Amino acid sequence: MKKKLLSMLLVVAMTASMALTGCGSGDKAASGSAKADAGSDDGEYTIVVMPKLTGIPYFTATGEGATKAGEDLGVNVIYNGPTTADAAQQVTMIEDYITQGVDAICVAPNDAAAMTAVLKKARDAGIIILDWDTAADPSLVDASIHNIDDVAFGEHMMQDLVKFMGTDDAQYAIITGGLSAENLNGWIAAAQAYAEKNYPNLELVADPYPTDEKQDVAYSTTQDVMKAYPDVKGILGFSTPTGPGCGLAIRDLGLQDQVSLVANAMEDDVQDVLSDGSLDEGCLWDCNDLGYLTVCVAKSLLDGNKLEDGMDVDGWGTIEVQDDKNVILGPAADYKAK
Amino acid sequence: MNKFQKLKSKNGNELILLVIFVALFILMSILSPGKFLSVTNLQTMAFQMPEFGLMAIAMMIAVLTKGINLSIITGSTLASIIAGYFMTTEFAQNNAVVAVILAVCISLLIAALTGVINGTIIAYIGVAPMLVTLGTKMLFEGLGLQFTKGGSVSGFPLLFGEIGNGSVAGIPYTIIIYAVIVVLSYFLFERSKWGTEVYMIGCNETATRFSGINTKRVLMKVYIYSGVMAGISGILISSRYCSAKTDYGSSYLMQALTAVVLGGTSIAGGFGTVAGTVIAVGIVQVISTGLNVFGINRYIINIITGGILIAVLIIRYVSGKISDQKKIKARNAEAQKAA
Amino acid sequence: MQIIEKLTKKKEMGILVMIIVLSIILAFANSNFLTLNNIFDFLRSNAVLGIMAFGVLPVLLTGGIDLSISSTIALCAVVAGEFMLAFPSSNILIVIIISMAVGAVVGAINGLIITKFDIPPIVATLGTQTIILAGVLLYTNGVWISGLPQWFISFGQIQLGAFHSVGKVVGLSMQVILLIVAGLITWLIIKYTLLGRGIYAIGGNKQSAMRVGYNVNKITIFVYIFAGLMTGLAAVTHISIVGQVDPNTYLNYEMDVFAIVFIGGTSVVGGFGTVLGTSLGIVLMAIIKNGLVLAKVPTYWQKVVMGLIILLTVSVDVINRKREQAKLVRVDVEEEEVDKRE
Repeated sequence: MKKKLLSMLLVVAMTASMALTGCGSGDKAASGSAKADAGSDDGEYTIVVMPKLTGIPYFTATGEGATKAGEDLGVNVIYNGPTTADAAQQVTMIEDYITQGVDAICVAPNDAAAMTAVLKKARDAGIIILDWDTAADPSLVDASIHNIDDVAFGEHMMQDLVKFMGTDDAQYAIITGGLSAENLNGWIAAAQAYAEKNYPNLELVADPYPTDEKQDVAYSTTQDVMKAYPDVKGILGFSTPTGPGCGLAIRDLGLQDQVSLVANAMEDDVQDVLSDGSLDEGCLWDCNDLGYLTVCVAKSLLDGNKLEDGMDVDGWGTIEVQDDKNVILGPAADYKAK
Repeated sequence: MNKFQKLKSKNGNELILLVIFVALFILMSILSPGKFLSVTNLQTMAFQMPEFGLMAIAMMIAVLTKGINLSIITGSTLASIIAGYFMTTEFAQNNAVVAVILAVCISLLIAALTGVINGTIIAYIGVAPMLVTLGTKMLFEGLGLQFTKGGSVSGFPLLFGEIGNGSVAGIPYTIIIYAVIVVLSYFLFERSKWGTEVYMIGCNETATRFSGINTKRVLMKVYIYSGVMAGISGILISSRYCSAKTDYGSSYLMQALTAVVLGGTSIAGGFGTVAGTVIAVGIVQVISTGLNVFGINRYIINIITGGILIAVLIIRYVSGKISDQKKIKARNAEAQKAA
Repeated sequence: MQIIEKLTKKKEMGILVMIIVLSIILAFANSNFLTLNNIFDFLRSNAVLGIMAFGVLPVLLTGGIDLSISSTIALCAVVAGEFMLAFPSSNILIVIIISMAVGAVVGAINGLIITKFDIPPIVATLGTQTIILAGVLLYTNGVWISGLPQWFISFGQIQLGAFHSVGKVVGLSMQVILLIVAGLITWLIIKYTLLGRGIYAIGGNKQSAMRVGYNVNKITIFVYIFAGLMTGLAAVTHISIVGQVDPNTYLNYEMDVFAIVFIGGTSVVGGFGTVLGTSLGIVLMAIIKNGLVLAKVPTYWQKVVMGLIILLTVSVDVINRKREQAKLVRVDVEEEEVDKRE
């Protein structure tokens, strides 16, 4: 009996210490975002910035921007998100932040439809809602930070692909991060629609190939696609692992001069494949800025400002606003070989 | 005291779990006063727990027979997707009440069908559950993708959203459904003839078969039950989010397995209680919500959950050893007395 | 004739037939399929999963399972990558040794938890999987490690016996050689050592293995360390293909690996399985993945087809085996059936 009691006490002590050390290391974590006492009662705004998932380079970069903005503007920024791109886990976390009583929630929804109910709840609790990276239901958000106009981005990549191919009478293939990713699907749809309208002779050989957001899958898929469709002259890669993955495949096939590749990529990761023309152009935007701008706009809204095109935002400068709500970060950043 | 000791000896595992649950609950309440222990938070947890808890029960019944069901998530999302398509038809938009009832029926039917597929290959062909459900996991996901092309299905009648978001007297419907199913599962697993047969198969399938029980039929029902439980969870999920998609709830698969094992169900089959699973689900939920409220990085929450899982199993092993030794000592003492 | 008869009796027959049938279909669907170039390519792309499959084969033979390999490979890759950045003048052997050592440590931890506290392998390794991956992603934030030294990149490009064919260089790449080496080592251990016999014995019946005098705990710890070692080797192999370390890329790898080993005829409850079967499993999975694209199967159907092929292969395998047993032993058929559910 005594020993059992002891073991129970042990459990309690262990869980307690785990929870406490958890808090401690949370502070030290590189994301530097987890603050134990996050209340609005200290006169500081608490802004939650939630990515689709944490632990991938893209959302690590946006997190650095958001955290930096928090330091610069003197607001408390919590940058935290699910560990997999699962809408269910994201909704759960937002619910918990509503409980915590934060001032603003900026979310990059894994799935816009799934967010609707929880965002309504957050609004009812008087929390300012922003979406970023991917749009949520427009009627529920106070502002929507667009890294870029989805349609314009897809069209831009398509145009550049044709430019690099030097012809619009050819076959091309699309390789994507995942078939369920809403923003990727949006760009792909825009690119396809643009091609159908403007390049009637351009032929898409098959539906987009998924790569599980993995570089090595992008690599082997590209090799396989080139074998299945040897006449393909151009490849569009959506999602950041496709840039280096598809690029490497093209290099190993020795097709740098025959096949053009325009793909999303993090700039640092593709210098190598850009250098010999395996990847003709990497397309993305400044991820740091995206996080930074999101926090700046959130703070401005919390200060009681109304969004207007050309207005000045604390810490950022002049912003471009469309339709009263949509803040546009700016044009795509194209990476060429340095 | 006597009664307590009886309870302790019979349900020692559940008691340990309950102590951990209460301790964590108190700990979280002390660490974030007014936030964790608030009506809104308790209500939020009541909304969140059922979908996860039902997945855990779906996993548990398979584990009881020494099996596993890796296809619970993709099977349930496939059911929700098909029901979702039905709800976006014009007929459904005009007849909300009938449509919602029919949609629930369709979901359950498809979910049961996923169970029939698993059950047929496992029970009648005799392939190992892990292999079968690994294959069907891919198959169901592929079918779902084929329907949705990766997007989500939305635009359901508002009434459907009520199931997952509505409440009566502050108590969410979802937790009521969960409670009813927990009680039902308890009676089915631990008080019915079928339940006994399920546990027997988990202990020794050959012996069970030789004692004249149609193990194939029992196993078939196990996977149908598992599929239906996952299907109900899928209904709650798609109702809560008013949409359906192939990857909703993908993070629940490993969590469900964690909760089942944490709850004391033996992975080797034949042992485990519904109560244990339910408390374990509560523990995982309290850790998750409690630490979320602090804004702690999700990865650290994962580490803590994994750590607690291993710690509890080590404690279970050590305390088992201790009580064994005590029994041996007591027996030796008695033998000496007798001599 | 005798050879054919012998072959048909082999357990690996079912999967071999599957491979041949699929190859014939694919060769008709795309003339590129049966070229040496393509075969070397898909073997190279699947070398990583293959090495891991050989690594977990002994674990599965003992009736255990190791879910943590997907996290372990991420850990090994990150350590190897960081090491090369810190010591750009070291060499490939040291990198491989370090990576394998890290894997071995994780394997030892798994083995110790499983044997000392009698925790079921699936649970223990589920725990370590979660903890290790979370640790790796917390440390790296998921950021890629790039700028690996040139000697390492060149190592990944080595092709043995390279010759020119249709304008391309075709040869046995380094990764495929590593895969073959891993297969040979595994084969030697489980086929020709006392340890190997112990592994099969534990999988067959733990109690009897103990009674016969095998040190069950030691053997169990060894198989998990072996899985860790091979995972470490797989980590180096992987980064030598892609030239960068992406800590997130290994998510769900364990499921692909198990699919290979189980398709290769290894029993889920342990005690049965061969290196030959696993090798065929690697080839079949590689063919499926490569062939789906080459045969121009519509993207959205690929997962469905893959799931069906897996279900078909394992079902046919089980049905065949049942028929064999029915022929061999007419008594106690029922019992055999249940005992050998795999």
